Amino acid sequence: MDRESTFSLRRCTWIWLIIMALTLITYSINRLGLSGLEITLGILLLALIKGHLIGAYFMGLNPVQGFWRWPVTIWLLLLGLLITIAFVLAEG
Amino acid sequence: MATLAQQDHPKYPPGDLAIWIFILAELAVFAIFFASYAFTRMNHVELFNQFQQQLDRDAALINTLALITGSYFVVRAVAAIREGASQICLRWLLAALGMGCLFLVVKSAEYSHHFSAGINLSTNSFYMFYLSLTFFHFMHVIMGMVILAAVALKARRGGYSIEDHTGVETGAAYWHMVDLVWLILFPLVYVMH
Repeated sequence: MDRESTFSLRRCTWIWLIIMALTLITYSINRLGLSGLEITLGILLLALIKGHLIGAYFMGLNPVQGFWRWPVTIWLLLLGLLITIAFVLAEG
Repeated sequence: MATLAQQDHPKYPPGDLAIWIFILAELAVFAIFFASYAFTRMNHVELFNQFQQQLDRDAALINTLALITGSYFVVRAVAAIREGASQICLRWLLAALGMGCLFLVVKSAEYSHHFSAGINLSTNSFYMFYLSLTFFHFMHVIMGMVILAAVALKARRGGYSIEDHTGVETGAAYWHMVDLVWLILFPLVYVMH
């Protein structure tokens, strides 16, 4: 296995651990009974970050140049925006 | 040099381009589902919050960790076949399938619990969305497992190599999409209130 592959695999292992940790944080926030709009939107932000990491590193979109680099990121941003609007309006 | 640069910054994502068009279509459908859930919730906040509390978050956590780990195993499978290690690739694919099985078992237990309590699509708006969304995703997990199993069978026969492993990357891309969708579904349906 060459150095480039080893580096890439090591990076993916770290990404896996980070996503697992962010998931446990999301779960813990809920278990602690923390609530409120800021907390809810914070949880959504964590989910969007995890989604970006999956797209960029696991799906291999990070090094892609041009159109195909962006659809997953745009999907996450649009979805995040729509969900944020719905939750903010629900509070009002 | 130009060839190396192209390898470092490819124009297309890994795998068959057709699967990526399919993935974008799937993501669009899930986005409509998620947005529908969020905007319907706007008019039924108390109902959604009340019944969300009845969901099994421990089971959802196990399923989230299983899918993330399954995705990581698929990353390892792709890395292995890029080195020409067919048998190692096969082992990682089988491990990913194991994570998929774990997801199906835990989710089936959740469904069994709901159905035995008399909960169905007509119970209320929250359960209509919860059951529809999660079952739609459940079917995608099964589809992803069928694809991974087909890739694993071909890997077992030595059907992939360093030069030709598009099939592994194609199956991997679909499996990651299934994981990606769950990473939004989990907080939206189980946690955010």
